[in-house]
Amino acid sequence: MGGGVERWFLILATILAALAGVSGMMSLRHGHRSRWTLPTMVGAMLAQFAFLSLRGQARGACPLLDFGEVLVFLAWSLTLLYILVGPTYRISLLGVFSAPVVVLFQAVALLPGMLDESPQPVTEINPWRETHAAMSVLAYGGLALAAVAGVMFLVLDRQLKEHHLSSGLFRHLPPVRELLVSMVRLLWIGLAMLTIGVVAGFLMPHDSGWAHLIAACVVWLAYLALLLVKQVRGITGRRFAFAAVALFVLSLSVFAFV
Amino acid sequence: MELVCVGLNHRSAPVEVRERFAVPPARLGETARQLLEHEGVAESVVVSTCNRTEFYLSAESVEAVLTALERQFEAGDPEHWYRRQGRDVARHLCRVAGGLDSMVLGETEIFGQIKDAYRRAHASGSTAGMLNRLFQRGFGIGKRIRSETGIQEGATSVAGSAVELAEKIFGKLQGTRVIVIGAGEMSRQTAQALVSRGASSVFVTNRSFDRAVELAAQMGGRAVPFDEWAPVLAGVDVVISSTGAPHAVVLPHHVEAVRRVRKFRPLFLIDIAVPRDIDPAVGEIDEVYLYDIDTLEQLADKARERRRAQIEACERMIDEELDKLNLPGT
Repeated sequence: MGGGVERWFLILATILAALAGVSGMMSLRHGHRSRWTLPTMVGAMLAQFAFLSLRGQARGACPLLDFGEVLVFLAWSLTLLYILVGPTYRISLLGVFSAPVVVLFQAVALLPGMLDESPQPVTEINPWRETHAAMSVLAYGGLALAAVAGVMFLVLDRQLKEHHLSSGLFRHLPPVRELLVSMVRLLWIGLAMLTIGVVAGFLMPHDSGWAHLIAACVVWLAYLALLLVKQVRGITGRRFAFAAVALFVLSLSVFAFV
Repeated sequence: MELVCVGLNHRSAPVEVRERFAVPPARLGETARQLLEHEGVAESVVVSTCNRTEFYLSAESVEAVLTALERQFEAGDPEHWYRRQGRDVARHLCRVAGGLDSMVLGETEIFGQIKDAYRRAHASGSTAGMLNRLFQRGFGIGKRIRSETGIQEGATSVAGSAVELAEKIFGKLQGTRVIVIGAGEMSRQTAQALVSRGASSVFVTNRSFDRAVELAAQMGGRAVPFDEWAPVLAGVDVVISSTGAPHAVVLPHHVEAVRRVRKFRPLFLIDIAVPRDIDPAVGEIDEVYLYDIDTLEQLADKARERRRAQIEACERMIDEELDKLNLPGT
């Protein structure tokens, strides 16, 4: 199998994230929260870390050189932030909603052609390029988690609006106001890291053109505008959540091609 | 020694009978102590709430218990009193502690009331081996029933449902601001329930300003003249409306006018009036969550149904636990 032992770690991480999501959803159907979501996601995060460490050793640099590595790094960042943020802010079910996104990213990374089967060491390491890549992907972890919280908000908002209040999902979702506050916090965290990534992007060599950095600046501006509108003018929770989800999906799609 | 429980409750006796045998909390220990003065009675605990008065005793015989109660309370009409003996006493206590015997199934207050009654009896020296073990195990089982079944899940009243929804929208209610439009009893209860959970400011408006002032004073709030309530919407999180108006009082333009000032924050509208006070079109505004009396009643009904569905599991749990414990006298 191409990619060696690290691929097995990635498969393990994907299985654990899938288990976290499925067990969480099944528990909700029975009206209670799964106590296994957090430990299983911690297991997934450790397996992701093992994968990234092995790829990093092989590359002799931050493992962000093919699309598969970027996706796994992103999944790791999302999982790590969930583990840090979910229990701290007591956002119940964040893990259940994050797990499918992690599974999706990693499943795509596992597709043939996504990961270099024999990753080559990097000959020339530029610290600004490394900082740009790592901070940008970490930022996307925060923005992804904000999008996950946005989806949770949209689900809860719909249930409250349509008076569908008897499901286990409804009972265990965090309150509307807490979800909105969490989204704002996560977006600020993501934006702060993205700012470092963008600044580092300006300082790194631009052998392959500026398109990538211009796209990063547009994404940065879009998130800043969203947060300023929220803080200054105000925006309905539904539009804010929809914008957080749409911006994340759009910007991820843009970077897949730029 | 025989374990005996004699009592009356909301099902066995009307309020005019129950009130004759009610014992104030401060006298529970003393009353339990007085029962020991009767021949053949070794231990006693007296439980008295608005819905029940019960005597838990260990005595030489059931007759000794009945004689003691007859002498001390002139118990009178026996048709209102129920009697449990041996294991049935333990089962009954667990049912009461678990809220299975309460008027509102699964209510939580009774657990604290029994604990208080036992504490007072124990402090007065009215309990020893048999009742100590019975009550301590009973509390354990009652706690398990509450934590491991859904017997106390969901609000079973309109006011309780409104509070649960408010908590689903705002989380902790500390600092939440409420306006009551129409100072009726139902709106008072709902606002009071929100205040008891931390809502800080209450504005009250009513066609009769005097009534608004009265209700606002009861809740530590502020009265607002009826033609000035609309601008107050800009600063509140919850609106409770219950006027007697034959047409809608809160219209979409009232909310539209304050959306920008509110920065589009969530707004929870509770319409407990019939005919409805709040135009249903208001509920179509993005950040507005509108609930009317029917929906709140349905929520309370569903919670009651869910609780009823738990009774069998609770009874099974009680029997399993009692089988394991082998309490003296049971």
